Amino acid sequence: MGFLASVGLNDFVITLMFVNAILAMSIYLTLYGGMFSLANAGFMAIGSYVSVILTQNHDWPFLPAILAGMVAAGLIAIPIGLPVLRLRDIYLAIATIGFVEITRIVILNFDKIVDEVYTRLHMTSEPPKITNGPLGITGIPVQTKLEHLVIAVIILAYFMMRMHRSRFGRALAAIRQDENVAASQGINVVYYKNVAFVLGAMMAGLGGGFSGHLSRIIQPGSYGFGTAVDILAYSVLGGISSWYGPILGGLALTALPEVLRPLKEYTGLINGIVLLIFIAYLPGGLGDPALWRSARKSASRISNFITKGKTADAGA
Amino acid sequence: MRSKNLFLAFVLVAVLALPMSVKAQDGGERPLIGAWDTCADPTNLSGDVKVGLAFAQSEAAAIYGVSQQQAAELAIAEINESGYLGGATLVAVTEDAGSTPETAISAFTNLVGEDVSAIIGPTLSNQAMAADPVAFGTERQDAGDPLVPVIGVSNTRTGMETDFATSYGDGGNYFRRVSLPESKVIPGTVAQVVDILGIETVGIMYSDNDQFTASAYDVFVSALEELGVDVVATETFATGDVDFTSQLTNIIAADPDAIVVSALAAEIVPLLEQARSQLGYEGPIIGGNGFNAPGIASEDKGAGTDANGVIVGGAWNVARQNEISTAFTTKYEEEYGTPADQFAVQAYTGTWVVATAIRCADSADPADVLEALAATADFETPLGTFSFDEDGLPEHEPVAQIIKDGQYLLLTEESAAEVFGN
Repeated sequence: MGFLASVGLNDFVITLMFVNAILAMSIYLTLYGGMFSLANAGFMAIGSYVSVILTQNHDWPFLPAILAGMVAAGLIAIPIGLPVLRLRDIYLAIATIGFVEITRIVILNFDKIVDEVYTRLHMTSEPPKITNGPLGITGIPVQTKLEHLVIAVIILAYFMMRMHRSRFGRALAAIRQDENVAASQGINVVYYKNVAFVLGAMMAGLGGGFSGHLSRIIQPGSYGFGTAVDILAYSVLGGISSWYGPILGGLALTALPEVLRPLKEYTGLINGIVLLIFIAYLPGGLGDPALWRSARKSASRISNFITKGKTADAGA
Repeated sequence: MRSKNLFLAFVLVAVLALPMSVKAQDGGERPLIGAWDTCADPTNLSGDVKVGLAFAQSEAAAIYGVSQQQAAELAIAEINESGYLGGATLVAVTEDAGSTPETAISAFTNLVGEDVSAIIGPTLSNQAMAADPVAFGTERQDAGDPLVPVIGVSNTRTGMETDFATSYGDGGNYFRRVSLPESKVIPGTVAQVVDILGIETVGIMYSDNDQFTASAYDVFVSALEELGVDVVATETFATGDVDFTSQLTNIIAADPDAIVVSALAAEIVPLLEQARSQLGYEGPIIGGNGFNAPGIASEDKGAGTDANGVIVGGAWNVARQNEISTAFTTKYEEEYGTPADQFAVQAYTGTWVVATAIRCADSADPADVLEALAATADFETPLGTFSFDEDGLPEHEPVAQIIKDGQYLLLTEESAAEVFGN
């Protein structure tokens, strides 16, 4: 921990890195099925708000509240996914950005909606303040611990690893390659796409719940287009050709600006340049299996060289 | 030969260094600001006293954060040159707080790890709500670590003091700010306006579906009530509206002495154009903080001359400067080549307030610093005479400003007569 802190990765940053790794995995699932969906920032918001409202207003314990947020995100994903997943490519991206914006605006005005319902139903009691509009919910105790996140990442990583070789994973891969061919092979495309979408939404809800109990304040403004793009970037930089790619991407992209912190106003610039170099020279992402294979090869070449060098010295 | 040169060089350096050391012993030039006489020169302080600076140096809020950082550094240089802390040196530990709550939390986590005596920052109010508790929140209390005072210099969100007290108990006292929240700016401004313009009746228009404008409306109403001003008409609209003519017509029909408007920047420009150009209203318009947004009165993007006669409160105006403020703005412009803005002046004030607390406490211990900080009263600053009131809220005279041809002028009888032509 001492070394990590010395390069700018304090406890908070390390925790945040794992939260973002979960978010990166959430979008990986839809990308794996060939769906360019940016909806996960919206599901993150839902998971975050539901779990925080449960712990703050209803005194729920932390873990059940987090799971409830996850389930809520999954339930909302069902009616969203059924119509929206008929779209493909960039059209799906636009529709899901629309969903993110709608979610943000509904949360922003939620108290007013409740207020209106109370008036319409002629209820005499004072309508409760639930989301607190643009100011957001503040003073949330920090309950997310690193060990929760490590356990969650390990479970999800195991699930991802197994998925590749499962019926479900192969069906998604087939759909990504060609939907029509996959359908003609007897794969229920609509079913698999929706399952992937709902599971992704649940993971995003889980990540949202963790992040809500980490930063002490949640505001609708934190779950907009920028967050949607960030989540996509974690996954793309990490690479979507392996299950560990998104995890690496989420960890690395969160850590990078913190490591570059001493550069002050140049942080953003250098951060951008590093990303550009990565995208240009590692199009497969950090988790590209080919990259790791060649890295292993050159590592063994170097170690061979060193050992041989040493034997030569010993002989002389 | 070589040793002779070396000796000469040594003499030269010594001669050059001599005036510097004399000046340092002398205590340098004594700045106008500072509690030089109220608190004796500290005797216990020595070595480095660390203070954390956590302003936005990157992304969106850097536009404010950079001038805050420069002003704070200027203040620290003055404090050290003048020997304000006796034998001790004030050392700035700088962390970029970025523009999001997460980056601010990370910056604060690093700063409390450095054992600073106090932290100045962060730039945005929502960052403060997220990051300030790192210094004094539940986790730190539970761990038994010393709580660190945090001084906000640009946080204007209403009710931060009560929010922190509710969530963190006594730890909440460790939050202080020199930036006036809207609940302090509005009453002060309204009082000056009523005094100078002799207003007896007003009509109010506000956007009721936005928390900021709705809470400002409440503050306006209670301030007007206290001054005995009659509200003759109240009209509401929604954020995002573009047509305000029916509400404005109703208000103008009630013939108030002034119209009070609580709105966000996007609605302000069309509202002003409709009130002035379409409906021909020429009286004063008193606005909330939204009217401080840049460009409201600009000719091409804003309301242009339709903004003439708008009165809005602020913490500081370049036209109302005391000696201390003038000395600071001159020095700032010399040093950095750009004129000082309100954010720079507030950051400079905040840094001096913290240094004064350290001097008066004669200790670098955060708890002692907080005690001295809370006792800050009648401290002369570029913002005016500064105190913390009994609730821990900052107090100094806000500035009532009147817009004329794109300029924010100080509201006086002369400037009002010039704008309204009577």
